[in-house]
Amino acid sequence: MRKVLVAGIGSTPFGRHGDIAIQSLAIRAADAAIREAGIDRREIGALYLGNFVSGPLTGQEVLAGLVADGLGLAQIPCTKVEGACASGGIAFRHAYLAIASGLCDVALAVGVEKMTHADTATTTAALNCAMDNRSDGVSGLTFPGLFGLAWQVHAERYGTRREQVSAVVTKNKANGLLNPLAQMGATLDNDQIVQSALICDPLRLYDCCPTSDGASALLLVAADRRPDLAAMPVEVLAAAQTRGSARIAGHPDLCTFEATVAAAQAAYAQAGITAQDVDVVELHDCFSIAEIIDGEDLGLMPRGHGAAYAAEGRTRVGGDVPINPSGGLLSKGHPVGATGISQIYETVLQLRGQHPNQVRDAAIGLTHNLGGTGVACSVNILKRLDA
Amino acid sequence: MPDPVLIKALRCAACGRLDPGPRDLCEACHSPDLEPTELPGDGALVSWTTIRRAPTRFKGQAPYVIAVVDLESGLRLTGRIAGDPDRLRLALPLRATGEHDGAYLFTERTT
Repeated sequence: MRKVLVAGIGSTPFGRHGDIAIQSLAIRAADAAIREAGIDRREIGALYLGNFVSGPLTGQEVLAGLVADGLGLAQIPCTKVEGACASGGIAFRHAYLAIASGLCDVALAVGVEKMTHADTATTTAALNCAMDNRSDGVSGLTFPGLFGLAWQVHAERYGTRREQVSAVVTKNKANGLLNPLAQMGATLDNDQIVQSALICDPLRLYDCCPTSDGASALLLVAADRRPDLAAMPVEVLAAAQTRGSARIAGHPDLCTFEATVAAAQAAYAQAGITAQDVDVVELHDCFSIAEIIDGEDLGLMPRGHGAAYAAEGRTRVGGDVPINPSGGLLSKGHPVGATGISQIYETVLQLRGQHPNQVRDAAIGLTHNLGGTGVACSVNILKRLDA
Repeated sequence: MPDPVLIKALRCAACGRLDPGPRDLCEACHSPDLEPTELPGDGALVSWTTIRRAPTRFKGQAPYVIAVVDLESGLRLTGRIAGDPDRLRLALPLRATGEHDGAYLFTERTT
């Protein structure tokens, strides 16, 4: 396998982009990534685009080809990949594989979603396409509901308290205030969080990520293409992807996602590092309790200690396990298909030392992107080239 | 309490493995020979949540209580709870007492 670099990054702000077509969001992010890398776009040999629900929510499919056409790419293979909320991470891995395997020297990974124009019931129904709708779906379960179920068990088993979970929300909303791309940074304390509307007990409104529009893109190159790159490149140490059960009945434990555990093990092995070597993490905090469960699944803290780490400030920038300095999904936003690409965008900025909420001397970063009821997971590890 | 209902499930004719279904191949031995069976609806509560913002199809029903239930036969199901959610606690004994659109309704088991 050849060494692969992230040579250019681009992103729209996350939030509301009412008048901009979904393909235009993707084209803007991708064009920025190509220009930043300083590479002739005719050199791009493959495009992978992560998207989840453009069909049901915007009526537009064939996004990969549409975006390539708008960018003026050659007659290259253009592929949309779908893995619910992990679509972006999976698109990244396929672009990585196209180069690592020697099929091409330059590849583009794009993620995009447009959601805010739809009403909540329509969006919830579209997102529920990520569930096994012949089993869990018939009960009326939702994704916030899945994490409400997980929270009850986590609280019972580990004594996790409401105010500890609120510490995740307070941190990520504050981090978002520092990120110009974030949808909803805020200063929020536990009192304000517990006064927000109940969504799926015990999850309240501020425990949930917003619906978002946005796109992010990464230009990947073979390491031997490096000498004339314009922006500071970052090395991809690992790109792991796994599957887990698509239904609740297939999860023996509601407090862990086996797809995350397996993807983390595979990624650490591929990179030749352990969780303790990671300096900065962007993980899939679709809900506050998810950040706690994901951190434990990734081995960032001992099982059952995720809530205490958050409450003690250990996951803040400046703590020993900085998680989601971008604001995460809770604050930066969650345009579903873009999220996995956006996490890598943020991590590349950290490893370049250019992030607006910089983790000091960050050399190794990890991203974690989880889809459906844990049916798909992507874990990637990136390294500063001089580290 | 209301009369119990039986749970429709699948049993693998080759190895006997139970599955809540639907499923095309046995999860254990991959046999396609899965036969419909009915199981007693007694079990215990694994977790629950009250859905207050429902998807389009269930919009008129919210709020409603979703539960994960482990049946005594070992099957895990996602269903609904009938009655007062304030009485719920983990491991509460439950019994299936109804079915609606493929989802089972569970009630606290008092006998």
